[in-house]
Amino acid sequence: MSWLLATVSASIGKKQCMALSGLALCGFLVAHLSGNFLIFLGPEKFNAYAHFLESHPLLIPAEIGLAFLFLVHIGLAARVTRENWAARPHGYAVKATEGGRSLASGTMWLSGLITLVFLVLHLIHFKFVADDAKMDLHKLVVTTFHSLPYVVWYVFAVCVLGLHVGHGLKSAFRSLGLEHPKYTLALLWLSRLFGVAIAIGYASIPIWAYFFTRTLA
Amino acid sequence: MKAGMKFTLKVWRQKGSDAKGKLETYELRDISPDASFLEMLDVLNKQLILTGREPVAFDSDCREGICGTCCLVLNGQAHGPDEGTATCQLHMRRFKDGDTIHVEPWRAKAFPVVKDLVVDRSAFDRIIAAGGYVSVNTGSAPDANSILVPKQDSDLAMDAAACIGCGACVAACKNASAMLFVGAKVSQMALLPQGEPECSRRVLAMVQAMDKEGFGNCTNESECEAACPKEISVSNIARLNREFLRASLCAVEGKAGGEGA
Ligand code: HEM
Repeated sequence: MSWLLATVSASIGKKQCMALSGLALCGFLVAHLSGNFLIFLGPEKFNAYAHFLESHPLLIPAEIGLAFLFLVHIGLAARVTRENWAARPHGYAVKATEGGRSLASGTMWLSGLITLVFLVLHLIHFKFVADDAKMDLHKLVVTTFHSLPYVVWYVFAVCVLGLHVGHGLKSAFRSLGLEHPKYTLALLWLSRLFGVAIAIGYASIPIWAYFFTRTLA
Repeated sequence: MKAGMKFTLKVWRQKGSDAKGKLETYELRDISPDASFLEMLDVLNKQLILTGREPVAFDSDCREGICGTCCLVLNGQAHGPDEGTATCQLHMRRFKDGDTIHVEPWRAKAFPVVKDLVVDRSAFDRIIAAGGYVSVNTGSAPDANSILVPKQDSDLAMDAAACIGCGACVAACKNASAMLFVGAKVSQMALLPQGEPECSRRVLAMVQAMDKEGFGNCTNESECEAACPKEISVSNIARLNREFLRASLCAVEGKAGGEGA
């Protein structure tokens, strides 16, 4: 087993674990968003879906798995970022980009951190208040999104998340060694497109709720 | 010939590895636009010596862009603004008359400053010593064409072998990561049949040596590729990651675990 420990504690091994957990979390983002879109179909459909999940016997194992993915990803993010900062104790007086950097790639730790804050607040607002199985989740979502500051924060946070996965997706492929001229360019654009789609997809719900559901509440 | 140019230089001065350094300002005039950056520093040093001051220590050797010795960060860019160019091949006509130029050494924990603009890059030597070689028997040279190499593989290996080990990849990386250097060194051998027998042991040993030196991790920004005077591709980093994963998961334990793991 020493080979396993050596693998996951090497610089490359850590990044490969981040890549695997990050890719799995990307999958979660897609699944979660698909479910959330049911809100556009009205309270019955959305609440039925929510109650189906709440009472599903596999909910707890799935939540444990998800928590594990987040713990691995965040734990390694903290370690990797600390090592990266320690690798240059004395910075440059003047630093200019060479041309490889993007806004997303240069701010992965920050976009990750904002995502973490968002995640915690999100759980507080939508998960831990709503443990009552009989609760009208549709109403909870819609009324929460009638607060303008909350909508602004939510849209900002999901844009930051879009930035994170927009660089993260293609980065993860390279970390895992998956690169070839025949698909590298496609992967780059797929990754950017994914980031934009995640941001727009998640932002659409609060924006819709704020502007179009006033009368419902 | 264009008239002489004027420059303000802000140069990192540091007496020794433990000394605290600072940026010193120097005014230069009558610099030929055709002078290389290092020749311009030679002019500065002559001026400093003539006025009884300590000349600026900087590394240089071939001054032809092939040895990898010169290593300056100019206005925040490793080897300055030109693409695919080492500092020694950069000419003053690339700057505007009257420009202020910040001249700093490579900055990385693994590359401590020795003096002024000179850094200790022996960390790279230790990574090479850990596995960046091919073991061969001495004696009569083997027939050059006894093992055939596909053209595309030899081309890729040659591209990787263009690395001159200057360290610009580390200097440019926000994490001071050495992944492009190690990626190139692992690739040039992994791609050729002569390097194949030792490739698992090699990649594990070199990555371990790289980690021990205190370089950062790879965020896949590709700043290194953009800074590299030999334009080494980040696809070598992908190959390094692939080789590492394959060696870690699939290599025979005894072989992979030898010196390396
Ligand atoms: C749903 C949420 C998240 C997803 C889908 C996600 C996805 C990803 C992916 C795919 C990568 C690329 C891995 C690689 O470069 O190999 C990545 C990198 C990273 N993530 Fe996340 N992430 C999420 C949340 C977080 C959180 C909460 C944090 C931290 C608090 C975080 C911090 C980081 C950092 C620091 C990196 C870059 C590491 C580097 O510099 O290379 N992420 N993420």
